[in-house]
Amino acid sequence: MIKLKNVNKSYKLDDDVVFTAVKDVSLEIKQGEFTSIIGPSGSGKSTLMHIIGLLDQPTRGSIFIDDKDVSKLNDNELSSLRNTFVGFVFQQFNLINKLTVLENILIPTIYTRSTLDYDPKEKARYLLKRFGLETKEKSFPNKISGGQQQRVAIARALIMNPKLILADEPTGNLDTKSGAEILKLLHELHDNEKITVVIVTHDPNIAKQANRIIEIRDGEIQ
Amino acid sequence: MFVLKSAFEDFSRNKGRTFLTSLGIVIGVLSVVILIAFGLGLKKYINDQFQSLGSNIIRVVPGQILRGGSFSSSSGMSTIRFDSRDVLKLQRVKSASYVIPIVTRSLLVSIGKGTEPATLYASTQDIFLALNLKARYGNIFTKTDFEKRAKIAVIGPKIAAKLFGTEDAALGRIIKVDSQNFKVQGVLESKGGGGFGGPDLDSFIYMPHTTAQVFNPDKKFYAIIVKSSQDVSIATAKDEIKTALLKRYKEDDFSVIDQAELLGAIEGIFGMLNTVLVAIAAVSLVVGGIGIMNIMYVTVTERIKEIGIRRALGARKADILLQFLVESVALSILGGLLGLGLAYIIVFFMQSFFPAYIDANSVMLALGVSSIIGVVFGVFPAKKAADLSPIDAIRNE
Repeated sequence: MIKLKNVNKSYKLDDDVVFTAVKDVSLEIKQGEFTSIIGPSGSGKSTLMHIIGLLDQPTRGSIFIDDKDVSKLNDNELSSLRNTFVGFVFQQFNLINKLTVLENILIPTIYTRSTLDYDPKEKARYLLKRFGLETKEKSFPNKISGGQQQRVAIARALIMNPKLILADEPTGNLDTKSGAEILKLLHELHDNEKITVVIVTHDPNIAKQANRIIEIRDGEIQ
Repeated sequence: MFVLKSAFEDFSRNKGRTFLTSLGIVIGVLSVVILIAFGLGLKKYINDQFQSLGSNIIRVVPGQILRGGSFSSSSGMSTIRFDSRDVLKLQRVKSASYVIPIVTRSLLVSIGKGTEPATLYASTQDIFLALNLKARYGNIFTKTDFEKRAKIAVIGPKIAAKLFGTEDAALGRIIKVDSQNFKVQGVLESKGGGGFGGPDLDSFIYMPHTTAQVFNPDKKFYAIIVKSSQDVSIATAKDEIKTALLKRYKEDDFSVIDQAELLGAIEGIFGMLNTVLVAIAAVSLVVGGIGIMNIMYVTVTERIKEIGIRRALGARKADILLQFLVESVALSILGGLLGLGLAYIIVFFMQSFFPAYIDANSVMLALGVSSIIGVVFGVFPAKKAADLSPIDAIRNE
């Protein structure tokens, strides 16, 4: 489903020193896989995830989504792909605090260019109910617990029926119990709805629950 | 639609800031609209004043009053003064239906202890006809009064009320003008106006110039009013008057002015003044716009993370641009509307003493200019917001 070919990402630091976060990475993520990308902090795993999720563009190399080279797409086309193809789950949840839980879940539907064959509000309410948040619809994100916030974020990631969920340290800001619940949820989505999941983590215990582990160190796949 | 909703939700969360931000636009629009309303009122006022005098009135005055459509600096510095020979000459002009010589004086009018300054208009009985003046109480003076040099006066309603308390109380009473006694024979109907530099006809005192010779021993006239007959054009009448007077005077010695010319000159001066004032007020609009730009920059900075999140979830650059642009335009239109509302209230109260009014053009101007300000000053912050890379924006705390 996603192919990375010799992807490099480097940043120019002060004094013209070039720091390469991702070195010559080639990998393929197949439809229906549950993959984890593991590595210590600073290993380039988050940068890699941002490149896969089209949030960041590689300095060199190509990305193919369903065999289509997306490195050549313009900003509008990339935005559309982010909107429909990927669902993001972040460590920091990244909900907008001034919007209610329901409004947060509906954000991607505002920006979509395609007509939806379902009622977004209905779907959002269905997801809230499924995640045990039906009473929190009108709450604001900073008034609910971390675990609940992350479930809202997952609901938001699912609202556009994406093929791929990208989760960057999804349990990083949660206690063990909430973290376990979130992981269970992601596994359920993978098992029941055949959604492709990629988790970025530094925790080997989380990584080993995946059916494929990619280890990254100093920007290179081991 | 959602961008508009989100903008207004944001305003209601930051009421104080929203108000202060749009205050610049409020004041700008307020001052521009008020000044335009004032200018329009002034124009209307002057027009009304002259309209009430009648349009086929031609003034013959010494010296060059108007030159090239505006008042000449040498006005009033003439050497010639008209006398009864000139009046006779003008009476022989075919297109002149009335020739009315005028003597004016500023003097003090008193009854007992009360004294008021007033302007004396000494003329013939035709002055009332020419200036459309009618007696409200009593009578205007007649040809007989004129020929008999009757010691009578016809006074404006304002001066009557000032001297005697009520307008009708003045009738039949004796007023003292420069130690001479005159009987009030009539009180005129109000012509309105006065108080803003225009001629305050309601405070004038009229009497036969034969009677007024005590104030005017050399029997010279300040001006001659000619009412042209209806069947000739004003221009023809003016030409004939000029030709008649050129036999005795030089071209530069006198001016023949019709109402339209005078009106044009006065409007020209006030129009210029008004334009300058409006231009000064417009500066405050620009300052208001800069205030909005400032706050939009702050808003963008505060919301970098939100912008990143929206971009990550599929918002295009244009979506972000639109969101911030809508916000800044809404902010300035809000200010514009508020300014316009305040202007309406102020103009409403102004109308009790001055005919200022707000026309459709100033409404459109106010709203048009404030939305343009919103776009112009909102576009830079909005562009800055849209051009952020999604991931850099999301990482921003």
